[in-house]
Amino acid sequence: MVHVLMREFTDSFKSVRSILIILFLTFIAYLSASFLEDNPGLLDAFMSAQEDGASIYTGAVSIIILILGFLFVFAISHDVINKEIETRTIRLLVNKIPRWQIVIGKALGILFFWMITILISYIILTMISGELYLAHYFKTILFLLYVISFVLFISSIIPKSKLTMFLGILLGISLPVLGLISVSSEKWYFLPFKYLLPYYYMEDESIKLLIPLIFSIIFLIISVVIMKRRDL
Amino acid sequence: MNEVIHAAGLKKRFGSSDVLNGIDLTIYEGEVFGFIGHNGAGKSTFINILTGIINKSGGSFTIMGAPDQNLDKVKSKIGVMPDISNLYDQMRGVQFLHYMGKLAGDKRSKQDYIALMKDVGLEGAERKKIKSYSFGMRKKICIAQALLGNPELIILDEPTSGLDPESAINIRKLITNLQQQGKTILLTSHNLDEIDKVSDRVGIISDGIIKKLGTPSELKHNNTTNEINAAIRTSPGLTSEKLAELSATWDFEVQFVSSKKPYSVVKVKDDNDLAKLSKELIHSGIQLFEIRIEQQSLEDVFINSK
Repeated sequence: MVHVLMREFTDSFKSVRSILIILFLTFIAYLSASFLEDNPGLLDAFMSAQEDGASIYTGAVSIIILILGFLFVFAISHDVINKEIETRTIRLLVNKIPRWQIVIGKALGILFFWMITILISYIILTMISGELYLAHYFKTILFLLYVISFVLFISSIIPKSKLTMFLGILLGISLPVLGLISVSSEKWYFLPFKYLLPYYYMEDESIKLLIPLIFSIIFLIISVVIMKRRDL
Repeated sequence: MNEVIHAAGLKKRFGSSDVLNGIDLTIYEGEVFGFIGHNGAGKSTFINILTGIINKSGGSFTIMGAPDQNLDKVKSKIGVMPDISNLYDQMRGVQFLHYMGKLAGDKRSKQDYIALMKDVGLEGAERKKIKSYSFGMRKKICIAQALLGNPELIILDEPTSGLDPESAINIRKLITNLQQQGKTILLTSHNLDEIDKVSDRVGIISDGIIKKLGTPSELKHNNTTNEINAAIRTSPGLTSEKLAELSATWDFEVQFVSSKKPYSVVKVKDDNDLAKLSKELIHSGIQLFEIRIEQQSLEDVFINSK
């Protein structure tokens, strides 16, 4: 499993899309932190409005991940499973290691890629503000774990990579919109999105944060079961 | 002898089509087992089930004592040659073997991987991307891949098809060497001569079941009909028309099979009819120079088993 993880991790850095996303996030982190450093009055205004200093610094990165996280992960990893099935290279892996190790190895490889990508942004924020934002970092990673598991689940159930690319764009745009609206809406048709998507739970600092983690585990278990039953 | 593969009533259905209709087969430790069958007979399906690529629809099997539900336990002991189209085209040759080796738990160094590539005839292609490999080179790297992790059971699907004669000979030598090291080899090939040369036992699969099973020698001599193909050299040469004309009055049946100049190959029911044939030919004023019984080849066995 470690070798599948390592390959997925290193391959994630090789595409142009990944490099652009890393550069974009790093640039946003630098720009937002520099802007706050150059405008201390703005920081004071936020503080008096009962916002904590940390969320102001990490805000730009968090907002980008909340809004574009699905789109980013779909862009890089929509074909993480089905491409291997299409090219039948998955047969090489299945001959050597159990199927669950392929699924979990790939999920962890993508997760580690995002952990490093977000870490780069947070290091820049820390360097400028002089503070560590560990809680915010792990909250962002928790959100991304949900997204990664969901993308892997989609890639497992849909065998065509072209379809997951199209679906990725569609879901990458619609899910954040639906998720963010549902957080503040009490309309019945938004309730499924409120409770099934991670946005509602991200508001909190309590045990509710474990719910996206549980969803992630469920997505991964279903992906493993689907893979076990599939003829490759 | 220990059983390495034991399949009992193994079945596979794709939609409404039954591809395997109950395969019963045991392959023993240290033997080279040749698997013959026409395209679509079920060879690859059988291998894909054994290697966990597809799921069975019925029956059961064990590999090295592990039941099919626990196949993961013995995967590291099985080396499978993949189809040449199922490779990571963007990887370089040695990089591919290195990755596959790690998955197989292979401990060798990068230099050893280069040496392995040399062994299968890929010297100089180590740093080239697999997408630039020719058909034969892809075949060779697939064979090298199957040898990673020092497997006890090696499954080779048509290892020499499409290779130049020299490479094919080298691969056959490699198979023999592997057998001498005590490896069990399951081999499929359309080259029946090759199967005949390297296999200890042969199974002929057709319509999803094993029609014939035995050593190449047993299969060739287990002629259920006692029919004999005889090559005869006469003057004048015997044509199909001439034989039909002569045999019209004979009290036994003779069938013209082919002409392999200067011989004519005919088929008779048994030894007695062969004796009658020589007598009748001489009696008809035809000069009989030579009569030779044609050995049944594995190809004949295969054709008759369809």
